[in-house]
Amino acid sequence: MLVGLFCLAAITAFGANTQVRLILSAAAAKPGDTVWMGLDMKMDPGWHTYWKNPGAAGMATKIEWQLPPGVTAGDIQWPLPEKLPPLDVTTYGYNDEVVLLVPLKLAADLQPGPLELKAKVSWLECKEACLPGKSDVEATLPVGTETRLSGDAATIVSWQSQVPKISDGIAMRAGWESPRSGDLRPLILEASLESSVSPQITRADFFPDASDDFEVQGTTENLVTAPTEIRLRKLVKKFSGDWPGRMGGIIVLESGHTRTGFEVKFALADQAPAGEANPATSEHLPGKSPASESPGQPPETGRRPALPLMLLYAFIGGLILNIMPCVLPVIALKILGFVGEARSEPRHVRKLGLVYAMGVLVSFLVLAAVVIGVKAAGHHAGWGMQFGSPVFVVCLTTLVMLVALNLFGVFEVTLSGRALDAAGGWAAKHGSAGAFFNGVLATALATPCTAPFLSVALGFAFAQSASVILLVFLAVGTGLAAPYVILSWQPTWLKFLPKPGAWMEKFKIAMGFPMLATAVWLFNLAAGSYGKSTLWLGVFLVVVALAAWIFGEFVQRGRTRKGLALAIALILLVGGYAYALESQLHWRHPMAATDTAGSLKESANGIDWQRWTPEAVAQARAEGHPVLVDFTADWCLTCQVNKKTSIEIPSVRAKLKEINAVALLGDYTRFPDNITTELSRFNRAGVPLVLVYPKNPEAQPIVLPEILTPGIVLDALDRTSK
Amino acid sequence: MLFEPLYLGSLLEHFAATKCRMVRLMVIFMKTTIALFTVLTLASAALAAEIGKPAPDFTATDINGKTVKLSDFKGKIVVLESYNSDCPFCNNHYKTGAMQELEKDMAAKGVVWLLVNSVNPKNPSHRTADQAKQEMADKKIVATAWIDDSSGAVGRLYGMKTTPHMYVIDSNGVLVYQGAIDDKPDPMHDPKTAHNYVREAVNAVIAGQPVAVSQTKPYGCGVKYAN
Repeated sequence: MLVGLFCLAAITAFGANTQVRLILSAAAAKPGDTVWMGLDMKMDPGWHTYWKNPGAAGMATKIEWQLPPGVTAGDIQWPLPEKLPPLDVTTYGYNDEVVLLVPLKLAADLQPGPLELKAKVSWLECKEACLPGKSDVEATLPVGTETRLSGDAATIVSWQSQVPKISDGIAMRAGWESPRSGDLRPLILEASLESSVSPQITRADFFPDASDDFEVQGTTENLVTAPTEIRLRKLVKKFSGDWPGRMGGIIVLESGHTRTGFEVKFALADQAPAGEANPATSEHLPGKSPASESPGQPPETGRRPALPLMLLYAFIGGLILNIMPCVLPVIALKILGFVGEARSEPRHVRKLGLVYAMGVLVSFLVLAAVVIGVKAAGHHAGWGMQFGSPVFVVCLTTLVMLVALNLFGVFEVTLSGRALDAAGGWAAKHGSAGAFFNGVLATALATPCTAPFLSVALGFAFAQSASVILLVFLAVGTGLAAPYVILSWQPTWLKFLPKPGAWMEKFKIAMGFPMLATAVWLFNLAAGSYGKSTLWLGVFLVVVALAAWIFGEFVQRGRTRKGLALAIALILLVGGYAYALESQLHWRHPMAATDTAGSLKESANGIDWQRWTPEAVAQARAEGHPVLVDFTADWCLTCQVNKKTSIEIPSVRAKLKEINAVALLGDYTRFPDNITTELSRFNRAGVPLVLVYPKNPEAQPIVLPEILTPGIVLDALDRTSK
Repeated sequence: MLFEPLYLGSLLEHFAATKCRMVRLMVIFMKTTIALFTVLTLASAALAAEIGKPAPDFTATDINGKTVKLSDFKGKIVVLESYNSDCPFCNNHYKTGAMQELEKDMAAKGVVWLLVNSVNPKNPSHRTADQAKQEMADKKIVATAWIDDSSGAVGRLYGMKTTPHMYVIDSNGVLVYQGAIDDKPDPMHDPKTAHNYVREAVNAVIAGQPVAVSQTKPYGCGVKYAN
């Protein structure tokens, strides 16, 4: 008996900074048993050894068994490792101590007697430098008629509890976030968790299995960390072969200081998982994010934004839209309308106010219907998305130019063609149609702008059900129309306006110029889609203008040969359309978006903008740079104003240089899907969105407000180093 | 957007046909400007080390205080070796003599070999210029230059992860290989029996053939960068 105990004493071997020994769960075993062996590695303070996937550097510990016949060792069971810095060379390993576990199967026909268990162990140990370690370990296991636990059994059990297990409580979904291009590709991992898995997650991570063909890089972005749902973004670098279709590893859930690992294996879809949870569950905006809903988990009531509050936001946002640069040209029309109507019968004025509001609301209903339809079709929808369609931009350019020509008096908008006959009851009808049209135009021009409050409400709405989208859109419309309805209801407030007279004709013409400016802006937008062929849109506009003049001068105001004039105008229109738009511009088939790599600098000493991609953000952060991201679009006037006043300015340029920041530009002009996804992560339905990522790659980005000042930007950049 | 260089260029074509000499001169001047602008844009696009793309240029100082500029070696094949001799993986290649043999072979073929040492000055494995000169002599290292990269600038520019992490740049300045030195990620193997990716890549470039294995997972110790 004494001899047996003595034989059990394992031999301890020494590396330079790591002591290894072999321990057994049993002091004695019988044939057919499975005994657990543990390779106990004790590292000196500051030294670490590596996990089965060492990561970007290092080497996994290896065990080469020398076992007697009838005894077989299984694979190593690796306890949950730690993620070791630095971030640009992330490794996975163990500090202080680890016990690597190996099951030992004894054959049923094994002869009784002592078993000599031997292994050659080799490892890499690192602190400031790395050293290879190598050692022979051995232990003796008496085989007889009984099974007896050893003194090390408790140690082995406690390390076994740290080996990540497969759990039914985790449902994984994973897919590539962007199509295959280059060697770096972002991967989205999503897991639904049962409440038994982890009650309070503060962070989640993924430790991949090793592969020679690709490397899952160290940086992990926590997109969603909810009690029942996690969503991570990892970057994968490919070395050889095709992109992997399956992956395995460990999902690590952190809750305070405790970490739990779960073994997972999953297939990789070609697209990122859609996300069962509301995109608004992003952790970046506490207070605005509704908790994810799942059966059996009561929603966190305090964090869910109330619908009435969002409707109020939408209303205020709609009000503010009136003074955003997009809608200003329409205000000119409205002022004219009020001057013309102010002295009319109050009932008539009220009616016009309501009709205008109807025009706005009907347009918003149409917009809401489109958004709901697009969402139902499984696509991303966003505010102002119609401006991503070149066809829409061409139509709107033409329309706005015609409005300008109308204001200049080139032609009249009448239904009968007899403008000068307009009198009595007919005028009322004319006024109604005009007011309704104004409402539609105001809405069409308002959509490329977002305003304070509005973005919060829309960001909320776009992730919600159809009825909520409808309600929020109508609230925005009500806000947009409200000032005019109120003014028309209280005509006494309009007394300060001058009396109608000859000056109105001059004012009307003057107001044509802001409209013309809008047309130029829209023309420039179209240029982004048609390139040099945009010239033909200009030609078409001139032909349309000529046709409008012939129509106004010779049909509406002419006395003879009206039919001929009308025919010429129509021929010009049709011919101009067929030649300029169809055969030259190919307006329904704009050029594909060109993705130019490299700098998007606007001037020689401007900010060195790079194209935004999720990979670019992750890479810059992994390299330890703070990152400035500007999501913008050519049609977004607020974005352009922000850029001119607060971003592309000397003090910000100098600051970016000083903190060694990377500047990324996300161009939303054509509505790319990956930016829509990113916007929805920040509860936004549209641009502008400006983000500042701190230097610490694990820290959350700072979301800047919609309307910027240099102070706001500089202050945010200052905070990046903290 | 409307006035992107391409558009200007095609507009200029219309004017180029004119008979007026003044206009033609102006067209030539503007074309040159556009060409220059395009070249500058393309040059700034070369940002990170990517296979098949121009290798990022750098200017560094070697242990003799000499300035080393990658683009000065245009016309020659260049090998970059991320180096730290205290790392057992690097050390294994040097103590077995395999690395020196490879370096000699490469030198005979006119290949430029640059050692990049990115170990930060606080790390015990850091080498001062004198220590480095001594080490180069002791180990009989055959290299065009030993670059003192204690700031980590070159290493980070190329995304060097491990020692040794190898890069091969062809005579046109295009990166054709990056990754492990060979297929035996072990600090105790005999490198002479392994499949050496660097030798293969260089030989393929010299033979005018495509590099069969252009990218592998680098192995070794993590580069001891400055924080």
